[in-house]
Amino acid sequence: MFFNSLAFAIFLPIVFFLYWFVFNKTKSTQNALLIIASYYFYSCWDWRFLFLLVFSTFLDYYTGIQIENSDSDKKRKFWFWLSIIVNLGFLGIFKYYNFFAASFAEMFTSLGFKASPILIEVILPVGISFYTFHGLSYVIDIYYKRIKAEHNFVDYSLFVSYFPLLVAGPIERATHLLPQVKIKREFNAETAKEGVYQIVWGLVKKVVIADTCAVYANAIFDNYSSVNSLSLVLGAVYFAFQIYGDFSGYSDIALGVSKLFGLDLLRNFNYPYFSRDIAEFWRRWHISLSSWFRDYLYIPLGGSKGGLWMKIRNTFIIFIVSGFWHGANWTYIVWGFINAVYFLPLLLSDSNRNNIDAIVLKWNLDSVKVLFSILTTFLLTCIAWVFFRARTISDAFLYLKRIITNRDFGLQYLDNERYNYEIILMIAVFVLVEWYNRTKVEPLSGKRSLLKMALAITAVIAFGTYSDYKEFIYFQF
Amino acid sequence: MKKFLLYIAKVFVIIVLCAVLLDGLYTYVYMKSQNRGKVENVINSKAQNFDVIILGSSRANNHFVSQMFEDKGLKTFNYGMSGGHLFEASLMLKLMIERNYKIKNVILEADLNLSNDREAEGIASLFLPYIHNSQVIKDHFESQKNFKELYYIPFYRFIKYETKIGVRETFFTAIGKKTNALDNLGFYPLEKHKNGNMKNNIVNLNPLPHNKYYEEIKTICKENNINFIAVMTPMCENVIGMNYFDKVQKAYPEIHNYENAVVENKYFSSCGHMTSDGAKKFTARILNDFFKK
Repeated sequence: MFFNSLAFAIFLPIVFFLYWFVFNKTKSTQNALLIIASYYFYSCWDWRFLFLLVFSTFLDYYTGIQIENSDSDKKRKFWFWLSIIVNLGFLGIFKYYNFFAASFAEMFTSLGFKASPILIEVILPVGISFYTFHGLSYVIDIYYKRIKAEHNFVDYSLFVSYFPLLVAGPIERATHLLPQVKIKREFNAETAKEGVYQIVWGLVKKVVIADTCAVYANAIFDNYSSVNSLSLVLGAVYFAFQIYGDFSGYSDIALGVSKLFGLDLLRNFNYPYFSRDIAEFWRRWHISLSSWFRDYLYIPLGGSKGGLWMKIRNTFIIFIVSGFWHGANWTYIVWGFINAVYFLPLLLSDSNRNNIDAIVLKWNLDSVKVLFSILTTFLLTCIAWVFFRARTISDAFLYLKRIITNRDFGLQYLDNERYNYEIILMIAVFVLVEWYNRTKVEPLSGKRSLLKMALAITAVIAFGTYSDYKEFIYFQF
Repeated sequence: MKKFLLYIAKVFVIIVLCAVLLDGLYTYVYMKSQNRGKVENVINSKAQNFDVIILGSSRANNHFVSQMFEDKGLKTFNYGMSGGHLFEASLMLKLMIERNYKIKNVILEADLNLSNDREAEGIASLFLPYIHNSQVIKDHFESQKNFKELYYIPFYRFIKYETKIGVRETFFTAIGKKTNALDNLGFYPLEKHKNGNMKNNIVNLNPLPHNKYYEEIKTICKENNINFIAVMTPMCENVIGMNYFDKVQKAYPEIHNYENAVVENKYFSSCGHMTSDGAKKFTARILNDFFKK
């Protein structure tokens, strides 16, 4: 059940009605309903993996309590590592086993040994990377005594399985979401309205921007060896907007839906393509994942406190692991590596926190510099996205090489019977709308909201791509 | 809560209003179009006289050279549509009759398309912008399982088939951007392709014993005193399951079998589609067999 499907359009009002009119007596009834709804939502993909979700939830719930109740450090460590190993074990088996098996076999073969790896035929349980990380952060926080273990299994289950964030985040923290599910939610019309704005804007991003860009990006990436330089450049730009529209659109819908139930989720995107350097980009892109890695990997590794080599090592570790989190493919690892290379000069020159203020443009030279830095950051990001999107690393290199060597910057007819430039205007309008609303969560609220809503709905109806239906990209992670 | 539900009601009204307005706008644009494709060319036309009308799929569109008929003094147009089934061919003929076309001969390419009586969504969708303006189209689609959604939900048909009749096509229609669908009197010539698919397997294909839309076309022709010529058109040498054409012959003895009229691979762009040279050779044979004066 996708957020942009008819099934969800029926599911959501039913749950909303039951939540506020039937199960609204206590927080326990509210939570129980949300759990049932969440499990139903998840089972719509593949009910068999529901057991994995419930098991993972129970494991972290139980180990959390055991860590808290342990009277010795040895026991605490035992329960802690049990949770970490089992959680990462599941993730490793389902997501990474085949990758490692095939990679090792390839390595042995290249060394002259014969290797035939045993591969497992299993589909990746949707959302496993997200709910595993929910559980991990919870257990780590208990181990380091930042939070108390949750004793109410229903409340804890809701924290892990809450349907708006279950399959593609944002990756929540126990410190943020658990306190909210511990109290009865009262309906707030203004919050719910904000939720509707965010849902509609998320739909614009998904079906108008992402899915339309996907049509063009796919045509270019899938035939990169026969298209010209201009098409290749545009292909990278289209993919940049596809992945942004897709993932941030999903996050907007998730946050909006959650607001309808009175629960506030962590913001995941903050207009990342207006970043002035890569460090700022990573403070604005997939914020819940970046901050997760910062808090649970980078800082425990020593962060930027150590010497030069430690800083370099930690930077590469966090970016490469982040890339690997996205999928078991060398392309994601290289994508992470490239971002580390982009980030490192900023870290070493202590300028990674230069751009934390809001962007203000005036008619002066400084503003030209700001615009230039935004464009440069976007260009660097697009180059990295080529690795993220390409099927293999060599495809990515050939793609970039052809941009330089082909040198044909003429307009081109793509194999999907579209011209390579056809959606530039749509992207330009989208960028302008986001630019003028960059201080807000979404552009639809505020003055003349009903008119803006009408325009957004018109865009969704008239400009959306529906026939060539596309899943949200981040579901596969 | 009351305030919020009122707000949701407003949003719902906006959605319905947007859909109705867009539906009206798109329909208006399509009602003014004439040069984008064969469907609107017929729908937005007035009564005409034809000696020969050609109907069918791409195997009609690419195989009958209209100009060769014209050279013989026969006013001809090739209404074959790539990807089309007999569902659409029948509807095209009905629309022509509705517009009082006077037609002497209908040549129907009836071979592979006899194996189903389903609509070809990509082509059938081209008729949908006019569904509220033509009783013929409405009646023709009424038996389809998604008719109610398409007919009663405003703008739904433009969303469902957005690649065919969505914003992009509507925009090009509005600015009058011409396509090549109507060039060469509807005939679309193909070239020899280096990578053309020269293998085809039709072993599992079986003609329906009574194809609803084939029978419909036959009946329309009879009722309107139109000479009905149904033909099977050639396929390349490498086709596996060529006995399909025998099965067609058995089920529909009146269909003329020209499956072997052109056989050499050099005349084919792909296994089911002849090049323009092949089409000329084939058309010459048809002219000789049916229009020799």
